[in-house]
Amino acid sequence: MNLYAPILVLGGIALAFGVVSLVMGALTGPKRYNRAKLEAYECGIEPTPQPIGGGRFPVKYYLTAMLFIVFDIEIVFLYPWAVYFDSLGMFGLVEMAMFVAAVFVAYAYLWRRGGLEWD
Amino acid sequence: MHLVYPLVLAVLLFGIGLYGVIARRNAILVLMSIELMLNAVNINLVAFDMYLRDTLHAGQALTLFVITIAAAEIGLGLAIVLMVFRNRATTDIPELRELAEHKEGSV
Amino acid sequence: MSMSTAATATLAVTKVDAPTIEYGKLSPILIIAGVAVVGVLIEAFLPRPARYRAQLTVALVGMIAAFGAVVWLARDLPDDHRGSVTAMGAVAVDGPSLFLQGTLLLIGIASVLLIGERRLEPAGGDAFAPQAAAAPGSQQEKDAAAAGWTQTEVYPLTMFSLVGMLLFPAANDLLMMFVALEILSLPLYLLCGLARRHRLLSQEAALKYFLLGAFSSAFFLFGVAMLYGYSGSVSLDKIGVASAGAMDNDALLLIGLAMVAVGLLFKVGAVPFHSWTPDVYQGAPTPITGFMAAATKVAAFGAMMRFFYVALPGMRWDWRPVMIGVAIVTMVAGAIIAITQTDVKRLLAYSSIAHAGFILTGMIAMSDAGVSSTMFYLVAYGFVTLGAFAVVTLVRDARGEATHLSHWAGLGRRSPLVAGVFALFLLAFAGIPLTSGFSGKFAVFQAAARGGAGSLVVVGVLCSAVAAFFYVRVIVLMFFSEPKVDGPTVVVPSVMTTAAIALGVAVTVVLGILPQPVLDLADKAALFVH
Repeated sequence: MNLYAPILVLGGIALAFGVVSLVMGALTGPKRYNRAKLEAYECGIEPTPQPIGGGRFPVKYYLTAMLFIVFDIEIVFLYPWAVYFDSLGMFGLVEMAMFVAAVFVAYAYLWRRGGLEWD
Repeated sequence: MHLVYPLVLAVLLFGIGLYGVIARRNAILVLMSIELMLNAVNINLVAFDMYLRDTLHAGQALTLFVITIAAAEIGLGLAIVLMVFRNRATTDIPELRELAEHKEGSV
Repeated sequence: MSMSTAATATLAVTKVDAPTIEYGKLSPILIIAGVAVVGVLIEAFLPRPARYRAQLTVALVGMIAAFGAVVWLARDLPDDHRGSVTAMGAVAVDGPSLFLQGTLLLIGIASVLLIGERRLEPAGGDAFAPQAAAAPGSQQEKDAAAAGWTQTEVYPLTMFSLVGMLLFPAANDLLMMFVALEILSLPLYLLCGLARRHRLLSQEAALKYFLLGAFSSAFFLFGVAMLYGYSGSVSLDKIGVASAGAMDNDALLLIGLAMVAVGLLFKVGAVPFHSWTPDVYQGAPTPITGFMAAATKVAAFGAMMRFFYVALPGMRWDWRPVMIGVAIVTMVAGAIIAITQTDVKRLLAYSSIAHAGFILTGMIAMSDAGVSSTMFYLVAYGFVTLGAFAVVTLVRDARGEATHLSHWAGLGRRSPLVAGVFALFLLAFAGIPLTSGFSGKFAVFQAAARGGAGSLVVVGVLCSAVAAFFYVRVIVLMFFSEPKVDGPTVVVPSVMTTAAIALGVAVTVVLGILPQPVLDLADKAALFVH
């Protein structure tokens, strides 16, 4: 059980920090609201009323999402290499370099063909 | 844990996927059903890997390959479905009957 | 203190020896993989007009180099013709894999020549859509066509598919077999949807092929998982050892065997997993159909033989009766449905189904003669099929290829040479003596009869007779009916298609008249490494 104690303590501290900051901010800070402040913080899409059953996303969205997923998932192969990093040594490095090079070729094709441009 | 639990779960998942492939008309839903079948396989592989205490972890390695190849497959499948949708405004498989025995003369 | 030891225990990983890979032994596969990657780079960085020549050159040179590597590896095989395994037992470099890889590379060279053909379309361009992503008839597509754009991605896609095909018959464990299966299939799904004419048909073919292909690979994988659970390994050798002493009713083993077989039978287009074949063969661009029909069969039968001969020889009394049934149904259904076809491409598709049955006959023999005769048949069948589809690309009217059989009436009077060549291919399909088809059929039936599958041989001979009927019917149609007034014309191709057809004719005639050298080569190459 004491194995997990540091994690629990860390979790407790994080939770307390969050609660304390929010409460202190609400209690002590000035309250002046305007439109800009109510928008999504720094990033995100302006929420707009959507038709029932969800609105339509442009096809571009799916394309970009798929590209992200494919590249994201290819990196799964780095994980076993990390686990056996010591034993694999030079062999692992060379093989992974070849793998990453192949992924980069796909990336270069995507980039040159304008797959990364939003419009 | 007994090996039977994950295996039964996997078979159920595979069965749901199989049903979806056969019963659904929409190509996207068929794609999703195929994904279910592949994930059933993943559960099997990981369960066998742990049960057999495979030192080479062949089951887990194969799972990684299944995940990546399934992602590639879905990417490609969606591309084909989108291409068909743009031209016909439908992805219902029963609507796709240009290539069938009774219309062979129309080409 | 207890915490730190526990932490080390969880982090400590079994020390494994770094694996070794003998790159030289994998050179044919690696060369083609390199060619495919270079092809993608050409697409990314070369200006459009320069791509076609660059792609064609790189692909052809690469395939010739890879063929050289296959010959070099074959010379290095030890005198007893036993091969070896490499990449930690994942890939076998033995007689069957080298023989089939050589065949695949030759088929690949001829296919790329067909794919590169640019003389046939009246408006210029090849058999593929100028811009695959543009909707048919849209302004975007017209612009692309007017600018002379072509989808040169076809070449790297073909090369990627070829990588999978080279790896498939050589894969010595189920993981590698699955990866190879997907590498060969995924590019083919895309290639099917790229036809310049009849875009809707082509895209429909791609979608059907994709959905059914992904479905079957899910079955294949489920079977792999079962076999892994049964034997504790994905290696075919270890599954072979484990299954040798199997009791009668081991569910995991039997389910695994059945489901992997389903996946493989789908790829070769055997009944009852054949329903995609006619649709896809008809809808795909004809050069791709030729490549797919010839090369996929070679690769998939190679993998199927390795699976049954290496992993499950001890189970033969379980799988043989089923496979005999599949072979019979495949031959009968292929031959009989083909009679009713009125489209040349569909006719060839059903004929390919019937041939899958004949090839299965050789495999079921379960002997060295079975392996060698099957491999011989694959060579004969591959080149005849490719040649036949190449001829189909030449017979055209205003709407593109004239594939309806009625358009072919009287072709022999207008262009005796092309009709004569097609007739030769049809005779080879039918298995008439002095063509490669006869030598191949004779070899597989002989092996099956010696292997104790006499019933299969009887059905096979009967089906050959039925099949001969519809092949001869097409020949009669071409030579003995009046040509239509508005019938199609035969377009004169460039040297590339001519070379591909000439290769098909040469192999058909040579294997028909002098089969012995190739039969001997197949005999020598018939041993799977264990």
